[in-house]
Amino acid sequence: MLRVLFLGLTLWCALAWAPAAHAEVLVLRQATTASGGGDRFPAEFSTRQVTLPDEWAMSRPGFAGSLWYRTEFRTPAKLPRGDVLSLYIEHVCSTLEVYLNGNLLHTSGANPASPGAVPSAFSAPAGTRSIHDCNHPQLLPLPTALLKDGGNQLDIKVSGHALATSGSRQRAGGLSALMVAPQSELAARYSMQSTLQVAAPQAMSATLALMGGFMFVLGFINRRESHLAYFGALCVGWAGVSARMWMRSVPTSHASAEFFVCALLGFIVWAAVQFLLRYSGARFRWADVGLPLQCATLTLTLALAGPGRLNAVATVWYVILAIEVAAAAMWYLRSQSGARSAWVMGGLLSAATAAALIEAAVQWGRAPTFAAQVAELVAPVVVVLVGLRLVQQHGRALQHAEEGKAALEQRVREATAEIERNFRQMAELRVEQVTERERKRIAGDLHDDLGAKLLTIVHTSESERISTLAREALEEMRLSVRGLTGKAVRLADALGDWRAEVVSRLAQAGIEAEWSAPEDLPQTLGARAYVQTTRILREATSNIIKHSGASSCSVTAGIADGDFTLVVQDDGSGISAEVEGRLDRGHGLASMKNRAKQMQGQCLVESSAGYGTVIRLTIPLNRSMESS
Amino acid sequence: MMPMNPADNIESHAEPAAPIMKTILLLEDLPEIRAWLRKLVLQVFPGATISETARVHDAIEMVAAVKFDLALIDLGLPDGSGVDVVTRLRDMQPDAQSVVVTIHDDDEHLFPALQAGAFGYILKEQARELITEQLQRISQGEPPLSPSIARRVMAYFSAKAKPQVNANSMPNVSLTDRESEVLLRVAKGYTLPEIGVQLGLSRHTIADYVKQIYRKLNVSSRAEAALEAQRLGLFR
Repeated sequence: MLRVLFLGLTLWCALAWAPAAHAEVLVLRQATTASGGGDRFPAEFSTRQVTLPDEWAMSRPGFAGSLWYRTEFRTPAKLPRGDVLSLYIEHVCSTLEVYLNGNLLHTSGANPASPGAVPSAFSAPAGTRSIHDCNHPQLLPLPTALLKDGGNQLDIKVSGHALATSGSRQRAGGLSALMVAPQSELAARYSMQSTLQVAAPQAMSATLALMGGFMFVLGFINRRESHLAYFGALCVGWAGVSARMWMRSVPTSHASAEFFVCALLGFIVWAAVQFLLRYSGARFRWADVGLPLQCATLTLTLALAGPGRLNAVATVWYVILAIEVAAAAMWYLRSQSGARSAWVMGGLLSAATAAALIEAAVQWGRAPTFAAQVAELVAPVVVVLVGLRLVQQHGRALQHAEEGKAALEQRVREATAEIERNFRQMAELRVEQVTERERKRIAGDLHDDLGAKLLTIVHTSESERISTLAREALEEMRLSVRGLTGKAVRLADALGDWRAEVVSRLAQAGIEAEWSAPEDLPQTLGARAYVQTTRILREATSNIIKHSGASSCSVTAGIADGDFTLVVQDDGSGISAEVEGRLDRGHGLASMKNRAKQMQGQCLVESSAGYGTVIRLTIPLNRSMESS
Repeated sequence: MMPMNPADNIESHAEPAAPIMKTILLLEDLPEIRAWLRKLVLQVFPGATISETARVHDAIEMVAAVKFDLALIDLGLPDGSGVDVVTRLRDMQPDAQSVVVTIHDDDEHLFPALQAGAFGYILKEQARELITEQLQRISQGEPPLSPSIARRVMAYFSAKAKPQVNANSMPNVSLTDRESEVLLRVAKGYTLPEIGVQLGLSRHTIADYVKQIYRKLNVSSRAEAALEAQRLGLFR
């Protein structure tokens, strides 16, 4: 749109120079006028000299109907080859008939039989159409055959309406200056005027209608963005108003059409004010009620005033409405004063204000035509730009919402995972607690019952073998119920326990004991390996005390190649075959070897009569931990 | 609040001469084992008067009525825990020696009894000779202290030694260097006579250290319990 404007400005600049460059353009500024219908210049009635452009509102206020203009011009001496002499009329309102030397050259269309008759009511008879060419520049080729070598007589019959019955000065009767020149000289002017007055408003109407519809639906669906709906209404309303500019033929009378356009302004202002208020985030009840009420009042006053005073009433309303919109715009800008992007809307509203001021000047007849034409285009352009800005904001908000949604989903996923993890942990903890409680209960039961019975067997049995078995069963039971299978014993602690037991027992038996073990071993021993080793050591100690007859014993502990080694050596009589058999029956050497094997270890017994006994125990540390 | 033992009780050293156990409390719920224990005790302390019962309630009544030299107390009893009897005995007869006789060899069961004031423990399933020897040692003022209990006591006192928020309100019960030294050696598996030789001290002196350690454990635990009760009282 801006490009169109820019193009228009450039063209205008170019055209400003054009007349100076081409002297052939004949500008007719003097005319003789005579009012009356018919199909020829009513020379018999009183004639009057006027200067073109002739605006009826100035030269003959209140006049409506048909007015003849007669001008004369001389055919230019030479015409460029292949060119046609043409008549260019920049502005004529509402319709015209052109006669060249008495011959009808052009008519705006099927005008009513009495074009000058002002309809007495707003409701025109069915089939009545009102035609206006106010915005349409005219370029009429003058047929060479009709041209005379001397002077030519050009009669133009203009049918128009009084300013009083028109909502806008542009649609009141009048005729601009006439230009006669070869068509090539006038084509550019014609084309630019067409663009400015017809094509651009058409494009604007289409754009606004489309955008407005889109916005209205968007705002209507999403009630939180109600400002979009009002903006949509504003656009559609504006499209309707600007349609009045370029639409040549409407299926109703001039008075009705003007009435509707003026009434539409009330609706547009309602939408515009509400849009600005809602857009700034405010919502007022008085606005919700007052604006539709004002819209109705406007319509009512226009209807009561009648077509004759339409312009006067409308002008009062224009002022009121303009003040309202300006106030709403000020309110909006004040509420956005802190925002970083306030300058966008600020600029657009300023442009709209400038356009409105120019338009006001036009209505007072104090503005150059071209400025008025540009100003009429600026307002819709501003509306379109605001619309684009809204779309951008809406899109961004949508994007933010999507991002927020994604972030939220992510958080929900994380929270879910967290909850699941917590739940799992709690379940595990619960299982552990339940297991622990159950273990304690079983332990209590076993100690109270099984433990007591085993203990009784230990101390009442006559057989030492049975006592030992019962004692071991008791140990086994303890190990199981305590869940010690999972808990490893520090090797340093285990060595302390073993040393205390072995050394005190040997000392009690009067056997000299020598214990050597590395200090502070960091390794650990599985609970079962610990118990098995304790038993092997206990058995070995018992054998030494009972059978060896030794006077001294040495125990050497150490770590070799990841294995724990324990060497028990005595200086006793050694193990004879006879003794060995006895030992095995009494749960002896074989069981020691068997226990070592259970730990994936090894228990070697070296002995010879008279040279004592050496027991070498090897337990793989890592594997014994795993197996336990 | 439990009455606290006077601190000077900690400092008083037992007589080197072995006290003779004349009156003995035997708390055990299994009849066979009780009979077996009675026989064993009578062998070690001939002519002793033995008051035996299977119930905590009765034992506490006996503690109120009779003055005991030695008490053998089982922990898991039909009407409660032997720990209560240990506590009562410690309160009413500070000179009596409580020894836990139990089937449980784990710290969770033993440590509370030791904190309540018991001087060591005897495992019931041990061979007759071993128990006999332990009883003899006890009568000579040498309470049993296993390496695992020694480790537990060390852990208890070293945790207390750590700086705490309410450090100033805690009673200053800590082990002397000598006591710690003895404890450490017991934990490593050295017997009391061996430790005596290593430290150049008599066997009796080492035994006194062990008793002292048990007493301090008891005093410290009581103070802690009292403090805890006070704290709960303040916050209630």
